[in-house]
Amino acid sequence: ENYHISWQDSRNRSETTLNNMPGADKETDLSERIEAFLADLKRGGSGTGPLRGSGEMARETTALLRRITAQARWSSAGDLMEIIRNEGRRMTAAQPSETTVGNMVRRVLKIIREEYARSRGSSEETDQQESLHKLLTSGGLSEENFRQHFASLKANVIEAINELLTELEGTTDNIAMQALEHIHSNEVIMTIGRSRTVEAFLKDAARKRKFHVIVAECAPFCQGHEMATSLSKAGIETTVIADAAIFAVMSRVNKVIIGTQTVLANGGLRAVNGTHTLALAAKHHSTPLIVCAPMFKLSPQFPNEEEIFHKFVSPHEVLPFTEGEILSKVNVHCPVFDYVPPELITLFISNIGGNAPSYIYRLMSELYHPEDHEL
Amino acid sequence: MSSRGTKQKKGNVTNEQEEEDQPLQAVLIADSFNRRFFPISKDQPRALLPLANVAMIDYTLEFLTSTGVQETFVFCCWMSNKIKDHLLNSKWCRPTSPNVVHIITSDLYRSLGDVLRDVDAKTLVRNDFILVYGDVVSNIDVSQALQEHRHRRKVDKNISVMTMVFKESSPGHKSRCEEDDVIVAMDSKSKRVLHYQKTQGLKKLQFPMNIFQHGSDEFEIRHDLLDCHISICSPQVAELFTDNFDYQTRNDFVRGILVNEEILGNQIHLYVTNEGYGARVSNLQMYDSVSSDLVRRWVYPLTPEANFTDQRGQGCAHSRHNVYRGAGVSLGHGSQMEENVLIGRDTSIGANCHISNSIIGNYCTIGDNVVLDRAYIWNNVHISNKVKIHQSVVCDGVLVKEAVLLNKQCVLAYNVVIGPNMSLPEGTVVSMHHPEEEEDDDDDEFLSDDQVVGNSKDKTKQKGLVLNPDPDSDSESEASDGSQDMGSRSVSPEMDDVKVFQLEVLGTLQRGEEENIGCDNLVLEINSLKYAYNITLKEVMQILTKVVLEYPFQQQGTKLSSSQYTVLLLPLLKKWSPVFKNYIKRAQDHLDCLSAVEELFLEQETHQTAMVKVLMNMYQLEILEEDAILKWFSAGATTDKSRQLRKNQGLQKFIQWLKEAEDESSEEGE
Repeated sequence: ENYHISWQDSRNRSETTLNNMPGADKETDLSERIEAFLADLKRGGSGTGPLRGSGEMARETTALLRRITAQARWSSAGDLMEIIRNEGRRMTAAQPSETTVGNMVRRVLKIIREEYARSRGSSEETDQQESLHKLLTSGGLSEENFRQHFASLKANVIEAINELLTELEGTTDNIAMQALEHIHSNEVIMTIGRSRTVEAFLKDAARKRKFHVIVAECAPFCQGHEMATSLSKAGIETTVIADAAIFAVMSRVNKVIIGTQTVLANGGLRAVNGTHTLALAAKHHSTPLIVCAPMFKLSPQFPNEEEIFHKFVSPHEVLPFTEGEILSKVNVHCPVFDYVPPELITLFISNIGGNAPSYIYRLMSELYHPEDHEL
Repeated sequence: MSSRGTKQKKGNVTNEQEEEDQPLQAVLIADSFNRRFFPISKDQPRALLPLANVAMIDYTLEFLTSTGVQETFVFCCWMSNKIKDHLLNSKWCRPTSPNVVHIITSDLYRSLGDVLRDVDAKTLVRNDFILVYGDVVSNIDVSQALQEHRHRRKVDKNISVMTMVFKESSPGHKSRCEEDDVIVAMDSKSKRVLHYQKTQGLKKLQFPMNIFQHGSDEFEIRHDLLDCHISICSPQVAELFTDNFDYQTRNDFVRGILVNEEILGNQIHLYVTNEGYGARVSNLQMYDSVSSDLVRRWVYPLTPEANFTDQRGQGCAHSRHNVYRGAGVSLGHGSQMEENVLIGRDTSIGANCHISNSIIGNYCTIGDNVVLDRAYIWNNVHISNKVKIHQSVVCDGVLVKEAVLLNKQCVLAYNVVIGPNMSLPEGTVVSMHHPEEEEDDDDDEFLSDDQVVGNSKDKTKQKGLVLNPDPDSDSESEASDGSQDMGSRSVSPEMDDVKVFQLEVLGTLQRGEEENIGCDNLVLEINSLKYAYNITLKEVMQILTKVVLEYPFQQQGTKLSSSQYTVLLLPLLKKWSPVFKNYIKRAQDHLDCLSAVEELFLEQETHQTAMVKVLMNMYQLEILEEDAILKWFSAGATTDKSRQLRKNQGLQKFIQWLKEAEDESSEEGE
């Protein structure tokens, strides 16, 4: 009976955005799903939590946003954007290091803008290309309030989100397809840790070419070991090295191919620990550094936003809990990410082709509406 | 619509449920049933005390939820209304919560045993459940342990009743609670617990031999285990608590199960993990170390900035050196937050402060030139200029006036006003509650405190504030926030057990005599008594001998003549000889038995003549061997009295006879 009382109480309190739903079942179902997703995010995000890999994270997020679009109560594009923005804010706050989530929210917001503009008969394309003059005079980007009601909007938005989902499903394959253009026979390729995209990329190339892969183990989690096992199973000649040996081995390497967690707005990377070392070594030896990054990893964030940039996990891997007395006398840190500045990167390979780091800003403006950069 | 999200999310939960098809349940006990946190716990139940600015019970519920628990019963006793209010306002009671929380309150709960008996009475649990206290902080994934537990129960048909979760950590780790230090003997293969003993205050450890004799050939004795206080119990546990109404704690239960293993056939297993974190905030020392572990991110993803409770405005930002800042924190010019610092929302800190390894709550104001090191400052605290606080707890609503110095292990309980210009010596506890209120209760750690209302400028009062526990326990560890060992005090004096055991053995034999119970059953009963009172084999034998020899006196009074005594005793000896034979096997056993006989007849000087007859009889019944008797006779005399005893004519003759018999037999042998 306690439970019932609280149920009543919190209905009014917690669901500010979704409490207009007609069917209470539908509503609780949706908010349950959202809460479950948030809880999963809080428990670690990709790699450590129940959701593995940022590709999967992107698909999960998009599918949930589609569900919100379909089930939440809204009458105009403005309402829907507000709902999505609110939920998006909660999702990004739940695990700030998981930038993919925010990116997908921005993509969906952009879709809604586009569909709304199309319903009105004007092209979003022209709206976005506002001149500097117009920017200055209007005092802000949007005079549009998105209040007009269109009956077909919901179906159109869902259709567009479905397209986005299809695109997400195919990203890894699209990137892997380009492998033969970049990997040649008898090359020595170095990579670090484990990236599903790089794994698929190398395996794809291995179908036609013979080459050697050196994997830096990426301590303390040593995802590199997993990567090496997987590659050698696919018949690729693989060597695992300690992270400390990266520089020493670099002189023999023809190409460095890595994955990343996030591509930042300035063309830099937020990638697994040790990538900066690797990139510097590559630069020193003038070895090209190729980053395999699907478009959904592009994030309109800059590296100076310190709070969201870092992720420190339990120090257990660095100095185990069983060590006993020493632990109360030392501070142990276990950061997860490195920042790699754009000047160390030669090429990005995304699902839509290869791009230089200097072009990232342009891709960014195509993917996201400038107003959505801050959720 | 795709339902990937939920499929994914419930993936590991549903796998287990396919077999069981029941939601996983948990019993959370939001009461500690002790007074370790007195006088703080006088104003606030322990489960709601803030740990890194989040109530302890929230950590426990988050742990349960993330491990896949779908239904939790929260049992409250002390200040149950506060706990109820807290839970009803938390995210756990929202309709979207995957973990349904039921709150059950009663003022009658006095121990873990009471709660579990109530669980049984109300038949709340239908299946295996997780049992935790409301002050457990953990991120251990127990699904593996749960699976092992269920597997065992399936294979062995409900023999295993409990799986305790322990974490590997070597002795000396500061998050090991001294009170909970255990030594465990377990079967390496089946992980079955063979012996379980708390080690606090013990200089010597004893293991019953029989644990190594049956079972598999591989076993481990481990002292590197930290008790996480997380147990996976089968519904039988609640029933067993009902059957054994003297079980109060889990410790009673574990000991009871192990002792009665042969009779009831129940077993307890262990799950040892080296991943994750699990500890119980059982005293202030643990409060200190668990708080610091939280800030140092050992319990990731339960970190201070994660805001897993979903409280609005509770979030904070994490920056280098584990400095966490809540929203609206202001920091004065020249103030330093060195490392491992957590500052709650809307707290303002003055200029030139130096803060390290500290946790500061919400809405606090801290003046200029303040030094805080290992300070735990709760909410709405005002600290004036030039205050220095070292390794102390300052509760809600406290006002610390200018230039107060808190030395190590001080506690300022709720709403205390203190200062200005004073220095509190180490271990001072200041509270608004009058010390007499708890004086009758001497098992709390804050032995003395003083009522400080308004300004306590009175310097003489400080003398009353000094916490003065036993000097030896005080010096034990630098970090023991007055955690003087209760354990050593409550360890029952051995003499009592022996005495009770003796009476029980006597009772058993009397019943055996009256109801003509077979010797096998008598042995069984004595064995179970032996375990119940933790008596060694040697003691059993001595007591048994004593009881049997005194039996005629017990029945007929001490005024029997020697011959009457013998007449009464001999049939009894004959009757119970199998019992003796069961215990007297090795050479040492014979000697022990003889010394018990000797001791008895030294006491009963008037009946010394009967001794020969007794020995003779025991020899003839093959209870005692001649070698042993001879050895005893030649070696045993240490005191005048026993020398006197050996000069007894009858005895001399008996020995002579024995010697001759031996010679003869040895001659015959040649």
